[in-house]
Amino acid sequence: MQKKKKEEFEFCKACNINHDQGLRHKYFPNHKKSLVTFLSRFRTKLSDVRFFLNAPIPLNPELTSRNRFWCIFCDQAIDELSSSFACANAIRHLASAEHVKNLKHFFWKYGAATDQLDAFMFSDDDVAKWEKKCAARKDEASEGSRRTVVGPSSDDHIHNQLTSGNIDSFEKIVYSHSVKSYPSNAVLPLQSYTNEYQISSSGLSGIANVATSSEACAGAKPFALQDFSVGRRSHSLLHDGRQSSSNGYSCNKQVRDNDRMVHEESTHQGVQLITQISSLPTESADKNVYSEAPPPWIGATEVVQMHSNSNRLGKSRMLNPNRVGAAWVEKRKIEMVKEKSGENVRKVCDANWLPNFGRVWQSGSRRESRKEFEREKQLQKLNVETQSEMPIKIQPYVSKRMFIAHLSGLHSNSTVCQPAMDERQSKLAITVSVKTPNRGAELKLDK
Amino acid sequence: MLPMHKFSGYLSNERKMSDLLTTFSKKIEVDTIIRDTFDKVVVLRFGRASDLTCLQLDHILSKAARDVSKFATVALVDVDSEEIQVYVKYFDITLIPSTVFFFNAHHMKMDYGTADHTKWIGSFLSKQDFIDVVEAIFRGAMKGKLIVNSPLPPERIPKFQILYKDV
Repeated sequence: MQKKKKEEFEFCKACNINHDQGLRHKYFPNHKKSLVTFLSRFRTKLSDVRFFLNAPIPLNPELTSRNRFWCIFCDQAIDELSSSFACANAIRHLASAEHVKNLKHFFWKYGAATDQLDAFMFSDDDVAKWEKKCAARKDEASEGSRRTVVGPSSDDHIHNQLTSGNIDSFEKIVYSHSVKSYPSNAVLPLQSYTNEYQISSSGLSGIANVATSSEACAGAKPFALQDFSVGRRSHSLLHDGRQSSSNGYSCNKQVRDNDRMVHEESTHQGVQLITQISSLPTESADKNVYSEAPPPWIGATEVVQMHSNSNRLGKSRMLNPNRVGAAWVEKRKIEMVKEKSGENVRKVCDANWLPNFGRVWQSGSRRESRKEFEREKQLQKLNVETQSEMPIKIQPYVSKRMFIAHLSGLHSNSTVCQPAMDERQSKLAITVSVKTPNRGAELKLDK
Repeated sequence: MLPMHKFSGYLSNERKMSDLLTTFSKKIEVDTIIRDTFDKVVVLRFGRASDLTCLQLDHILSKAARDVSKFATVALVDVDSEEIQVYVKYFDITLIPSTVFFFNAHHMKMDYGTADHTKWIGSFLSKQDFIDVVEAIFRGAMKGKLIVNSPLPPERIPKFQILYKDV
């Protein structure tokens, strides 16, 4: 078999290669692997944006330049030049119709599974909720004192992300000799802290609110709220105050250590703002990593699901969606639920329901066979002379084409079929000329 | 037609099997089991309880029903019942026993090497053969195939001749 056409070279974003395989490329295993990694990388970046979808933080004008977001589906960068909230433009973009369209096109072109579609876009409901939260924040901000807040920089956050924890907070600056924070430019040697410039507890409480967007923030002691801000950089760092409850890595320690002076020249990119955050002391004791509580971003419902899923022994949790009759099962289950709740007991032509059956000598789809059956049923009712139950269907020596021809011959006149053994005679009996040689007993059956 | 060896004892009543398999004689019952069995193969034997080969097959089916119960349901259909004639015609059942396989209300075909792929005709030579066949159907169905290949070698498949008008 020859290749049909000469394929032009195309560039595959996932594999980062040029190929001339055309549409076949998306099925190759190497491509599938690279697609998975490609999408998961983008998904981690999206998770940052998603964080802000849930907890909108006002965007500091100085940080806008760092907050560019590249959408791989639309092939465009999204700036945050004019947005008042972090990642606002990104959020809006991800919910836009054009983005969704590009997303779907990408998925088609690169052969990604469509169940991941939702992970890469935001629904309108989400955006509406987000906007409400933004409005609420705005009001809050106008009342409270000015606070500086950190937004994630799309470049740095990956390095800065704390893994200590339960809160998906972003740490602009890293540092410390506390084990849990990670240096953003990982090679920074131990440095001393920036000492405090101001202490504004109200500002901190604002920060505290932001950082503890979910309930469980383990307790930093309220007294130790100290706001550190580097003079040059007006962003402050959210330190995960929960560490104070995680013994030994506590920022209490750091707080005490902060008597040291800051070295101005040591303020690099990622330096030194450690803020202790007050938390609700009651909840701190129970829910942290050590007590194996579920992290706060998993909602209660999901926890239940997790447990119920783990109870199923051995079996794969997801039945193959390509299995035979999967669509039927879904439909039927919905019907059964409805019947149970007594909504509408619709028995759709029960007496006449026939299962999906492929007949022995059929040559079309299975629906054809059912139609044929219905037709024959009617014919039988009309016909006085009772034909055999399976007219023409059993003729082992008749080839397929002859069978079809015979069928049409049969309907037009009522000649009884010749015995199949005498194939020559049967051949002659058929009026339609058939050019194919007799195939004997070899028969090919369709699906 | 089929080797009648050790099962002649079934003609006598003393070996009446207490079939744990249900027998259907109404169309609704057949419909229900086909429609309401989810993600399991439905094995429907069309035959008569008095026929020798049917008894042979029923014996094997009832022995194996428990073993395949995790992925298959087995049931018997009485071919002499009035309401069932619709199905007899629809499935082209001329020789009994005939066993038809369904999965999620879709009919599963299997290529046994015979002319008729839509059903299994005759009895099985052993319980294990039956289990193998059902397993092959189940595996194919889970992959989305409507027709599967038979795992049995041709010598273990009962041969029959499709006759036309008793010729």
